[in-house]
Amino acid sequence: MSLSTNPTRDGVKALYWPVQMRRNVGVRGLFLVILAFIIAYGILFPGLFSVFGFAKFTQSWFPLALVTMAQALLMLAGGISLAIGPLVSLGAVIAATTMTQSLGVAGGAAAVALAGLLIGAATGFIVVKLRLPAIVVTLAGSFVIAGAALLILPRPGGAMPPWVSNLLAGGTPAAFGLLVLIVLGWKLYLATPLGISLYAAGENPIGAYRSGVPVDKALIAAYAISGLLCTGAGLFVAAQTGSGDPVIGQSFTLNSIAAAVLGGVGFLGGQGTMRGALAGSLLLSLMISVMFFLGFTPVAQYVAQGLIIVGAVALPQLKGLRR
Amino acid sequence: MPFLAARDVSKAFFGNPVLRGVSIALMPGQIHALLGENGAGKSTLINLLSGALAIDSGAIEIDGQPISNMSPQAARKAGIAVVQQELSLTASLSIAENIGLGAYPRRFGLIDYAALERGAAAVCRLVGLKEPLSTPVGLLPLGRRQMVEIAKALYRKPRVLILDEPTSSLSASETRTLIELLGVLRCEGVAILYISHRLNEVMAIGEHVTVLKDGVRTADQPLAGTDAAGLVRLMVGRDPGDLFPTWQPSAQTPTVVSLSGFCAGMVRDVELTVREGEVLGIGGLVGQGQEDLLLGLYGALPAKAASASVGAAQELPGSVPRANSLGLAYIPADRKREGLHLIHSILTNIMLPTLSRIPALKPRSRSSERRIAEQLATRFMIKGDLSRPAQALSGGNQQKVALAKWMPQDPAVLLLNDPTRGVDVETKREIYALLRNLAAAGKAVVLLSSDTPELVHLCDRVAVMREGRISALIERQDLSEEAIVSAAVGVEPKRVAA
Repeated sequence: MSLSTNPTRDGVKALYWPVQMRRNVGVRGLFLVILAFIIAYGILFPGLFSVFGFAKFTQSWFPLALVTMAQALLMLAGGISLAIGPLVSLGAVIAATTMTQSLGVAGGAAAVALAGLLIGAATGFIVVKLRLPAIVVTLAGSFVIAGAALLILPRPGGAMPPWVSNLLAGGTPAAFGLLVLIVLGWKLYLATPLGISLYAAGENPIGAYRSGVPVDKALIAAYAISGLLCTGAGLFVAAQTGSGDPVIGQSFTLNSIAAAVLGGVGFLGGQGTMRGALAGSLLLSLMISVMFFLGFTPVAQYVAQGLIIVGAVALPQLKGLRR
Repeated sequence: MPFLAARDVSKAFFGNPVLRGVSIALMPGQIHALLGENGAGKSTLINLLSGALAIDSGAIEIDGQPISNMSPQAARKAGIAVVQQELSLTASLSIAENIGLGAYPRRFGLIDYAALERGAAAVCRLVGLKEPLSTPVGLLPLGRRQMVEIAKALYRKPRVLILDEPTSSLSASETRTLIELLGVLRCEGVAILYISHRLNEVMAIGEHVTVLKDGVRTADQPLAGTDAAGLVRLMVGRDPGDLFPTWQPSAQTPTVVSLSGFCAGMVRDVELTVREGEVLGIGGLVGQGQEDLLLGLYGALPAKAASASVGAAQELPGSVPRANSLGLAYIPADRKREGLHLIHSILTNIMLPTLSRIPALKPRSRSSERRIAEQLATRFMIKGDLSRPAQALSGGNQQKVALAKWMPQDPAVLLLNDPTRGVDVETKREIYALLRNLAAAGKAVVLLSSDTPELVHLCDRVAVMREGRISALIERQDLSEEAIVSAAVGVEPKRVAA
């Protein structure tokens, strides 16, 4: 580890970049595995390296990437969410019922974003101020939110403006571009005092409080951002399918946890990195695609997926035991 | 005028007074030492001074002005920084990010990493941290983390610096660096409150000393001219009253446990024998390896020994069931979490260790269980209906249940971890009598205690631990509070040597 800081180097970058590089240490192995999967995928499906193939693959990854970020945020905050899926569904039905109707595209997008932020912040407020376990609050919340989605759109329907669908889920890698922007936004957030406080508040809340960190504010902000990411993923899913489906998000709750865990995010708060979580979601997407091309039946896919996740989590533990 | 002062402050927890009318004044440019035994009220006083706890009566003054509602925020604003014993660091963040936590320099709303680096590098130089500032704190050994914690306090440029046993996890050279640093800060006019159990350290750097005993100030004087033995006398010397049963010498009895070269957790190379019918005390300052010694012997913590004989076996038990079958029983300090199952009845709690002894497929006999439990309840003076949940009992009665539950197995060795902590005086008396009776019945009682009078008046021998080793094994005729505390804080024992 020769990543020493050089204090004399130019200004801001001198400390910021070594800190960033340090965060790679835990996820390098994961990056290598992903590279191997990408190569395997490229061999099975050479079309991946065309613009269209890349666009389609990143589109299938995009919503999982978003919900994994949402889940990882809460796990870093020392919590967890079981309401990820229902929030995706809610985002999808709001988008499908507003964007072609009264509110228009901009108004609809704003409604989707507002719903995510408010529901997230409310969840965070309940968890933090009433000191309730996040798993219980979000479990209860998942019923409320899933019910709300069904009330808005009792059966699949609604519509998305075709140009939105074409833009987000057409033949261009616009979704990937969007993801890059979202990741940059996260980096920017993490460079603020409030953003980095999330780690301290999640791992050692008492120490953070004593150090003058606004612990409650940092945690509630994390819940709000997490909600926004979920409903945003819902909007994208609606654009992909062209309409709204009140139960479309179901599988995302557990997949988001699986991907975050795969990416090295721990359950105890403050452990792990967002780049790890994103890599975990990418690996999960790749695994699903590769197994599909290898002709695994969907049931066998689930079994293999589960085994790989347990193996990935057990690996560091086994390494620790041997020491 | 003192930067920070407490005037006549008192504090009680659940009716138990912890501090009674204590005053202390921290002057600029002075290193003020605070001494006291375990539980004398030192940590409470720090928490009051730093706003982490609210005072019951008295006043906290900053620059001579009484502060009506002291809070951690108000303390920070007034330039009071505390280096706590439990660290406030975040393992996954870098050294620099930890140092600046809660006080980051900003530029356009973002953390100004350049300014943070300059500030952090400056304080790291002061405390002698040479690791790259980008190193995650989680990768550092404990001593270096303590230095980060100190650097973090200095980063805020405090006027008052409170250090709670800062050297307990530091190496000798780190301690030297810290002591030099405190000298520099003193010259810059910082008021320093220094809590340490290491008397020679305190004697070397302190200028003024306040001694607490049982929540009362027993001394407040310049350190010059006082000797270590005098300070120890000020820390100890409680009147035992009639709390303890009269002690009778026990005859020379066979040993049940003998260890040599025993290592477990932070315990290093301990040699110890336990005899039938004796009460062997384990003393020392909190966290010197006493608990690891008991847990290692009990098979609850990985342990090894050059040679060991435990009951009938010529090896360490290695697991709890094996320890139980060799006749060892452990009564933990945290009875609410480790000793009892609070929501279950007293009866269930008492029978739990015995259940595994009943052949698995034989139906349980409720009536015989109740009979056994009732006998034990009478013998141990457990008050209350046996079917009530354990959480309904007072702390003292809970402790008796935690002890009674081992009796059906007739253990040969009882390992007790601070059994009278947080127990009222009356129950203490009962527990002391019980322990002496058990010893008289031939059981070996190993009593880990943070209460020095208990060790002096109840034990046949006391092993005092310091930094994972037994620093003194004091026989009955030499037992005194001074002898134990001297051995615990590392002052040369005078009369103990014999």
